[in-house]
Amino acid sequence: MALEISSTVHGSVAVIELSGELDAGVAQRLRDETVAMAGHDGVRTVVFDMSELTFMASAGLRVLVFAKQKLGQGVELVIAGAQPAVAETIELTGFHHSVDMVETYDLDALGNA
Amino acid sequence: MADTLQLPATLDALGPIRAFVDAAASAAGLDHKASYRLRLAVDEIATNVITHGYEEAGLRGDLELQAWRNGETLTIILEDDAVPFDPTTLAEPDDLGTPLEERAVGGLGVFLTVHGVDEFRYERVARRNRNIFVMHRQGADDG
Repeated sequence: MALEISSTVHGSVAVIELSGELDAGVAQRLRDETVAMAGHDGVRTVVFDMSELTFMASAGLRVLVFAKQKLGQGVELVIAGAQPAVAETIELTGFHHSVDMVETYDLDALGNA
Repeated sequence: MADTLQLPATLDALGPIRAFVDAAASAAGLDHKASYRLRLAVDEIATNVITHGYEEAGLRGDLELQAWRNGETLTIILEDDAVPFDPTTLAEPDDLGTPLEERAVGGLGVFLTVHGVDEFRYERVARRNRNIFVMHRQGADDG
């Protein structure tokens, strides 16, 4: 199944909803989308909603590395709702030390953080 | 007899490759977790072959997959005629505890492969790369 990306900005929070499978063939699209969303004025948090993401290769992890290095300290990355297999990859590679992992997110709480 | 799949070595092949592995894992009765790990492993190595073995070397070619099943194991064999490369010689990333800001980005795919399957081997046979992924059919959910 192809990757679908749907993004919205809510004040200081950008939400990128991912659905389908994230592999090396489509990672560039997510990279571009992440940069575009983080570039909105005043965005300080980017939430990757992975609740509908059924597969993530290391190319997805590299998007997170890229985002963290490109966006710097000013933008927090949050991964929401990762399914167990995807969460296992994130934890096995130690990414959960650098990215907040939450089951669900509250836009108001994130926006006021 | 093995199930086989042959297709051009482009990133568009990754979806069909995962579907092929998923079908083989289902037929072998692997549980969801084992099936996912096997799909991830084959996807990662296929990605390396496509991008480094073929595209960056200016080569074109095919990937060929075989799925072999016996009473104990499911074996996926991935063959290519790209640049010779043995992924088992790659050192494990030593920065997995490092913040992402300071991370190098290589080596994660092979790391996930080696940790995800029960056995991973590489052979160089008749001028082809052969990557071999083995999953045990019993106790597949033991972690």
